[in-house]
This record gives sequence, C-alpha cells and structure tokens, in this order.
Amino acid sequence: MMIKDILSPFSAWKKVFDKPVVIKDPINDRPGADRYRGFHKNDIETCIGCGTCEDICENEAIDMIPVEGIETKDGDSGLRPSIDYGRCCWCALCVDICTTTSLTLSNAYNWVEEDPEAYRFTPGVDEKPWQNEEKGWKKPEGNYEFYSLNRVSMEHLHPEERSDSFVEMVKGYSKEQAEKEADRCVECGICTATCPAHMGIPEYIKAIRNDDLEEGLRILYDTNPLPEICGRICTHKCETVCSVGHRGDPISIRWLKRYIADQNPSEKYKQILESESLKKNGKKVAIIGSGPAGLSAAYYLALLGYECTIYEKLSQAGGMMRYGIPEYRLPYDQIDKDINYILSLGVKIVYDTTIGKDIMLEQLEKDNDAVFAGTGLHLGRSTRIDGSDHKDVYQSIEMLRKITQGEEVHVAEKIVVIGGGNVAMDITRSLARLQIQKYGKVQIITTSLETEDIMPADVEEVVESREEGATVMPGWAPQHIEIVDGKIKGLHVAQCLSLFDETGNFNPQCNLENTRFFEGDMVVESIGQGMDLSYLSEDIKEQLEMGPRGRIQVNDVFQTSLPWLFLGGDIIQGPDVIHGIANGHIAARGIDRLLSGE
Amino acid sequence: MEALLDRLKTRFGVFDFEQKKTYQSFCSVDKLSLVSLVTYLKATEGFKVLVLISVVDWIEDGKFQITYLLNNPELKTDIGIRTFISRDNEEMESIHDLWEHAPTFQREIREMYGINFPGSPRVDESFLLEGWDDIPPMRREFDTKKYSEDTFFPRPGRKTNDPAEYMKQKLYPDEK
Amino acid sequence: MKNKLNILNWKPDRSSFPDMGEDGKPVISLDSEKFIKVWQGPNHPGITGNMSLELTISGDEVVESKTHVGYLHRGFEKLFERRRYIQCFPTCIRMCVPEPDTNEYNLARGVEELDGIEVPEMANWLRMIVLEMARLQVLLRMVPGQAGTMGLGLGVQWGMYYRELILDRMEELTGARIYHMYILPGGVRGLLPDGFKQRLEENLVKIEGFLKDIDKLILHNAVFKKRAIGIGHIPKDWVDQYGIVGPVARAAGYQRDVRKDYPYLYYDQIDFDYNIEHDSDMFARFLVRRKDLETTLDILRQIMAKMPDKGEIRAETPNVLHWKIPKGETYVRCESSRGEYGFYMVADGSEFPRRINLRGPSYTHAIAVLEKLLVNANISDVSAIMLSLATCPPEIER
Repeated sequence: MMIKDILSPFSAWKKVFDKPVVIKDPINDRPGADRYRGFHKNDIETCIGCGTCEDICENEAIDMIPVEGIETKDGDSGLRPSIDYGRCCWCALCVDICTTTSLTLSNAYNWVEEDPEAYRFTPGVDEKPWQNEEKGWKKPEGNYEFYSLNRVSMEHLHPEERSDSFVEMVKGYSKEQAEKEADRCVECGICTATCPAHMGIPEYIKAIRNDDLEEGLRILYDTNPLPEICGRICTHKCETVCSVGHRGDPISIRWLKRYIADQNPSEKYKQILESESLKKNGKKVAIIGSGPAGLSAAYYLALLGYECTIYEKLSQAGGMMRYGIPEYRLPYDQIDKDINYILSLGVKIVYDTTIGKDIMLEQLEKDNDAVFAGTGLHLGRSTRIDGSDHKDVYQSIEMLRKITQGEEVHVAEKIVVIGGGNVAMDITRSLARLQIQKYGKVQIITTSLETEDIMPADVEEVVESREEGATVMPGWAPQHIEIVDGKIKGLHVAQCLSLFDETGNFNPQCNLENTRFFEGDMVVESIGQGMDLSYLSEDIKEQLEMGPRGRIQVNDVFQTSLPWLFLGGDIIQGPDVIHGIANGHIAARGIDRLLSGE
Repeated sequence: MEALLDRLKTRFGVFDFEQKKTYQSFCSVDKLSLVSLVTYLKATEGFKVLVLISVVDWIEDGKFQITYLLNNPELKTDIGIRTFISRDNEEMESIHDLWEHAPTFQREIREMYGINFPGSPRVDESFLLEGWDDIPPMRREFDTKKYSEDTFFPRPGRKTNDPAEYMKQKLYPDEK
Repeated sequence: MKNKLNILNWKPDRSSFPDMGEDGKPVISLDSEKFIKVWQGPNHPGITGNMSLELTISGDEVVESKTHVGYLHRGFEKLFERRRYIQCFPTCIRMCVPEPDTNEYNLARGVEELDGIEVPEMANWLRMIVLEMARLQVLLRMVPGQAGTMGLGLGVQWGMYYRELILDRMEELTGARIYHMYILPGGVRGLLPDGFKQRLEENLVKIEGFLKDIDKLILHNAVFKKRAIGIGHIPKDWVDQYGIVGPVARAAGYQRDVRKDYPYLYYDQIDFDYNIEHDSDMFARFLVRRKDLETTLDILRQIMAKMPDKGEIRAETPNVLHWKIPKGETYVRCESSRGEYGFYMVADGSEFPRRINLRGPSYTHAIAVLEKLLVNANISDVSAIMLSLATCPPEIER
C-alpha cells in the first residue's frame, strides 16, 4: 500500500471544472440514427396486405385488418397490418421480409399516450407524427434477402434444337429445381383469389417443399382435373399477382404444378386420389364437347356419382387443348394422361358425333337429367379486308386443327400472319417448323394491331417466336392484301395509333401516311374466334335468355334460363383453359344442386 | 481423436461417433457405461472440464437424450457424450461427485424434464419454478401456447384475418 | 512495502464461529440466536440482475449461502421449440441484457454450422466489430462497477458516459442501442455507415483517457485495494472442478480465452494476448478486466485497420419462413466479457429447433462457486464478490 494510493483518488475533484456531458433534452438535441428502429410506417398504397409481416412476427404482434377505403381486389387483400405495441419488440423482421417494401420504421424515439389502447395502431392509416419521417430502418436494398428474388430458370430446348420439330420444348423442373423454386413462396395466398379455379396454390407448393407429391396431387385435383395440361399452358394469372413478383420474379406457379403432375405416375392416380370405388347415384348427365369445361364438369360430376357421357364432334378428346395448341407446347400424351384418368372414373365419350346433326339436343334432354355444353370457340374470324376472300388466306384455328389431325396444310415460302394473341404465336411457330421442314428456312412476318407493350400474347411466346426465326411486327393495322395475277403478293399495313375510342369501344385509328408492305405468298388470319351455336335449335334458342353482344345469359352456376341446360367455358368466359375448368367445376356443383334437389 | 475413439470403443462400446469440427466430436454410449466413461475421460484422458449437461426430448422415439459435453483444456478438444434413457423410466446415475457444478445441471434437469438423479445434492429442491404444479415444462408434451392461453388473458379487441380466406369471403363467397 | 499502514491490515478474529459439528459441517441453529437469515435480493444486488442470496450470517460474517434464482425465468429455451430459426433470433438476445450480441452470434453460428452455410468475409468482420464493441461497453460498466459495489459510485457514473458513446455507435450500425439484433443467421444486417470508423476512433481515444481516470480513482485507491486484495480468493484447483471460465479463470493464472483457444471469426488474424493474473482474488479479477478493456481497444483498432470497406454481408439462405435445418447437433462458443458463452444446438430436420441450450458463465459462477466462496466472507463484501464473478441471472434461468 503506497501513500499514492491514498492521494490518487482525490484527483477526481478536478473533474468539477469539466463541462458536463449530460444532454439536457436528448429527444430533440440528439435525433435517432439513420437506421434506428423506431415506430412503424406503412405506405398503404403500396402495401398489398399479403400478411407476410404477420407470419414472420415472432411475438404475434401483427393483425391483418380491413381498412376503410382499401378495396379487396386481384393482388390486394384489402387488409393492412395493425401492430400491437404491447407485444412488438422492434426487431424489424417484418420490414426485412415485406414483399413490397411498404413497411418501414421511423427513427422516432418516444411516443407518449395516456390511453393504452392507442398503442395498437395501423401504420399509415392512423395519423402519427412520424409517418412522413424519411429516416429510420428500411429494407436494406440489395444487401440481403430473406427469400430469393430470382426464379429458378426453366430449361428449354435451344432454338436450333426445337425449331424444326414439334417435340416439347420446356423440359420441366427437376426435384432439386422444384424444391428450390417452391422455397421462394411466402405462402400469402393472394394468388388463390385471382386463379379462376381458386386453386390451393400455397398448399400444393408447400407439398413440393415437403416432398409429398401425392398430397400435392390431391390438392390439385380438388379444383383442377387437368393438371398436366394446366401445368403447361395455363395463362397463369396467379403469377401476375404473386407478392414475390413485386420485387423480383413471381413464383413459377405453373411449372410447379406441372412438376407435381409429371412426378405422379398415372397408374397410381386412382390410389392417391382415393377414387377406386365411386358410388353411382343413377342419374345421367350429357356433356357436349370434350374441352376443358366439359372434362372438368364430367370429372366432378363423376366424383358425385353421376353417369356422364361426353359427345365430341371430332375423333379425339381435348377440344381446343388438342386441336388448338401445338404439340411442342402441349404434347398429346400429356393430354391423354389427364383425360384417361377422367375416363377411368366411368366417364364415357362418344366421338365423331355432332349434336344438332347426329343427335338432337332435345333427344339428349330426354335421355338425361341435365345437359352441360362447353362447346368453345372454334370458328375463325376474318379481317374482312380486301383480298381476304382469296383461297390462300387461311384461318389459324383451322390450320392448327389440321396440323393436329395430321392433314397436309398449305405452307408457302413466305407467310404473313395477322394477329397478336397466343393463337397467332402458335400458328406462327407451327408454320415456322413446317417451313423449316419444307424449305429449310423461316420466312414469316407476324403483325398485330396492338403495340408490343399491349400485345395479348405472353411475352415468352413472342420472344420464342423470334428465337425460332419469325419476324414479329406489332403495331400495324392490316389494310388490304395485294393480289397480282390471282396470287397473293403481300399485305399492306398502316401504323396503328390507338385501339379504342373515348367511349372504350374497339375502333382502331391508323396513321395512313405511315404504311408498310409485308411480302408473302399466303396470309393467315388469327384475330379471334367465334362460337358455333348451330346445335341449338331455333326452338331452344328462343327460350334462352340472351345478353348483350349475342351471349347467352347464365346464372352464377352457369345455368341458362332452361333449367336443364348449363353452359360454360370459352362461350361464356375466357378464352382460356383455366376459366373452362373453373366453369365446369361450378356447373357440376350447380347440376348436383339441381338434381339432388338441395 | 481417432486414437481416442478406438480406446473408447473397446473399453466402453461407444457408437455413433461423429466428428463435427476439428476440435469437437460427439458419440453415444449405453446408459450403464456412462458414468464410468465420464470418469475415465476425466481422470485419464484429460477431459477435466464439464461444459454442460443437456437434455433433448425425442418424444416420438420415447426417449430422452442426455448430452454430457466435456472439454480437454490442454488439447483444446470437446467430446459430447450422448446417452439415451427411456421416457418411462426417467432416471439417470448422478455425477455430482465428479464436478462441483454437476448438481446444478442435474437439479435443473430434474425440474425441467423430471429426470431423477438419485443422490445428487438438493436435486429435489425447486430451481427456477417455485410452486410449479404442472408437468415438467421442458418436456415436449407440455404445450406452452395452451398454458399461456389458460393462465393469462389475451388483450381484448384483437382480431386478425388470413389474406386468402378474407379475399375469398369478399370476392367469391359462394364458391365451395 | 515500507509505507505499509498497519491499520489497513487489521483483520477481525473469526476463529471462534460457527461451531463445527462432528461431520465437519458448521452447526447452524437459528434458535441459538447466534445466526440470522438475510435475503440479499431479488432486487438487483450489485448490478447484475434479479437473483437472491439466502445468507445465514453470524455477526457480519456469512456462514452459509444459498443462491435462489427464478425471478427472471422466461422459458426461452421452451419458446424456441415453436419458433422458426429466424424467429429465435429476436428472442435469444434477451438471455443476456448487457451483452446480447454473443447470443445472436452463437445462434447464427450454430445455424450456419448445422446447415453448412459459408458466411461472407465482410459479414464476419462486422460481427467481430460488434462483438468487441459489446465487450467494450460491458467492461466500461463492469470495471468501475467493481468499485461501485463497494460504495464508490463515481467511477460507474463516469463509465456510463463512455458506454453511451459506444451505444451511440451501436445505434448507428445496428439500429438499436441495447438489443441490437444485428447478427442474423447467414450474415449481418448492414454495412458500416459513412464515417463510422472515424467516430469510433474518436470514442476510443476518449475511453483511453477514461482508463487513466479510473486508474487514479480505483486502481490506486487504498480503500479499494484494502477491500479487494485477498478477498474472494478462488483456489486454483477449483477452476476445472467448478467449470470456471473467462476472466475469473484467467485471474487464477489459467490461459483460458475462447478467442485464442478455439479461434472463431478472424480472431486468429488479430494480435493479442491472454491477460493473466495469478492471485485469483477480487483485485486480480479487476486487473484482468482492466487489461481486457485495453486489449479490446487494441483489437477494435486492429479490426478497423484490417477489415475491407465493402462486400457481401449475408450469404444466400433458403427462405427464412420455411428454413429447414438438417438433423444434427453442435456446440458453439464464443468469448463474452464474462467468459465462455456457448449454445448447444440440436436440429431435427424441421423448421423449428429441437433444442437450443445456453451455457453461460454464471451458471456455475453464481451458484456452485458463489455459494462456496461466500462462506466466511464479510456481508459487506457479498455484492462485490458477486460482481467479481460476473454473475448474471438471465443466463442461468433463460
């Protein structure tokens, strides 16, 4: 012990003269740091109410509640997060996982209220002093992600490999790829409402993650009896609202569905779906058309015990799925896999039978308890421009059918296709393949009224058409077809300025100063299809209630004003496969309700 | 590590040897050999430090796993020794005479899992949960959520909606 | 030693009590009116948290002590069972209030080891800087705090100011002052803000000045020395027998420091030494911590010099909402300000951990060691001894 030890502590006295370090008013004199995790803010316009913040909250502090003025619509649940500050721990995991980056924290330090209930609030809806504060914790852009924003890329055949054959070009996911893609899903379920069939999308994606593909198949068949087909060619409206798509690529829902269907062998379907013994209830339903709507109605009716007979005009089942969609997109064996399973449940198909010609509809009504018609849109529409009555002007829908049926179709060296939808791309790419087989090169120009940004065709269809050698020229309105010496020389087009007039009616406006000439020896029109209702006799037609634009009116279960007649599919809604499936399903329930007298 | 394993294999019949990191491995041993193995490791192999005793409840297999993690401060290596006991006969031999802090672990395990260590000092005194009258709470069959719902009252007025379910009610209530 | 003041060396004669029984244990009968029971706690005795000591005293001497815990039990280890790995992260930090980052780090490292995730280099450097800053702010309280337990509160108040400076840096870097929630499984949550290194360096310089102040106030303080030297002596052979770790073991002459023994992050690239003392009493432990404080300043400077400016901060992981960890088990440890701090983690292949078990230094320090060490101590030294062992109830109870 030194004398120093006694004196040294007294040196503390000299601190008496130091300036105090205490901040008098820390809240105002020392604002929070830029990243400080203060109180919640929410940009309710950007927020889609996906509830992912609620899922990750380990304290169950977040409730999803309806908010006045926010409408529930496709891609937005109409709910907004409300936070209980009695539970929140300000970890900001909700901010880090927010799919839209709408949720952030301010850098505010204090909030004093007398009423404890005030601490349960809806950020962005309830006015708070910090809600426009710039600083505070935000999702660290580009630094890290809690789920991958990038879709697992799907392997395609290279353009060189695929452009001369009709072999399926999309290879499908491997197990590893599918599980990785399924892992990206945040299970919000926003997609389910947008899917016309309201499929249990998060549930079957979860089944993939758990590697329980049998469960996955059961979930698919709950709402969709054509998963192989939908897994390939569905218009995947679900993916357009996917919450992950707000910041990255949406989940590849369609390919995941295909993965489940592909991995389950058809011979195990009956066992997996527990459909080995279905009880018959003795009632009969006739179905006209074996397209998606008809098959879907037949499937769900068969499950309920109805005896279903499908009448098909052509020699094979599938309707537009077989005859409209080229084989490279949807191989026939996959169509057969889905259809054969439905047939295995006791559904009968009568082929090569046209209702209204071979059998009258009145006869069907007599023989059956109810009739469902999903006859689709199989008549091509013409542009009716000058020269469109020439023999080398074809309808895409007819050509596609002939290609499927294996008939010879006329393939010229130079072709012009008119149309900007997926059917136009289908015929373009089918003809391109045939051109390569015949001439060794592709010379196709596909032109549409719509400019590229509003073309109805899927973007990948356009891209792939170009990869395969076709020239896609959007934004041109066909004027007339030039014919010299009875032979087509090409198509004159003018720049299209707008499609609709002020009242919203279809009325294209062209700039006739800016014209072009697309050379070609044949022209294919692909501007939409019409319905063929010739199977309805005049007598029946008179009894049916018609709506605007010549459509037949149906109620919410697709029942017409003739109680025994149900209509669905492209003739009512669409055109696409998934609406057909949804319509068929609902109609089946409607028929069941009608016949079981509930 | 390899040489040590061979010795342990022949003498105590350890199995499931796993080397996790360069300095850490785990192995399993029969319940009856455990104390002699631990004693041997402490006295002969230089594993002088007891890092922890921990229990894992494998309710689906009807077993408790007791892990004894020992550390050799000279060689700077860890060895974790697992032993499995039946959930029906939850009793384990005590090692309180080997380390002074072992009774603390055993007392906590007794309280949290209901595994008895006969002879361990103060093993029956409550450790954390004075006045606890439910089943030992760290057992997997003890449902924390249910306990909390039964014991505490939720704050009134909270209601949440599942986005998918809510959208269904709003947009297509009639279907299904 | 020639200036030795005899009055300071006076010791009471305690040879006469308590009576020893035939079995060698003290005979304590409250009816004899020689003994009384005193409960120290559960309100924060010392500065370390809610825990109580059931002391039996005779005069001012403790003859028996029992540690009672359970005032802070929140059942975290049970709660982990129903939380996803990412959700464990905001929960686990609450197992140690003054130094939450070690929990974050252990959890992250356990998950990464079990799932085989490689953490980017930049993230590891940032983890180091946060862990060292956390150690620094704890020691800034604990070193003067040792004198605080003896009634010299001035140093603690000074220390608080310097701790706040570090908390300011924490706030800037991590977004929070106490519960930083910065070290995520897979990486960290942010890069250093602009000018951070410079501001931290300014703080370190200030803290160096503060070290001189506490030397004058506490280290060279006759009262402190009198009350610390020779008090709370831990025999060397207790260290392994009781599982004593960290500064307490180092004060007994053992080279125990996880950072050097089981190098994690980039501590093998940092130049520092074990801080060893041999007397194994309260004063030796104070000296070790005092040196640790200096070492920490030095390590922080080395980290700042060595770390890169930019880089990836988080490895790509599966979607955190359904992150399954393959079946397996591991024990991960790091050096906290109080010593080895470890997580024993068992994963069962699901999205939820099967078991996460914390082993903190206090688990032995506050119970087995403290109960024994307090026997024959003066009651006024109890809280000082507790602090010198760095007892922290939340890590006992979890």
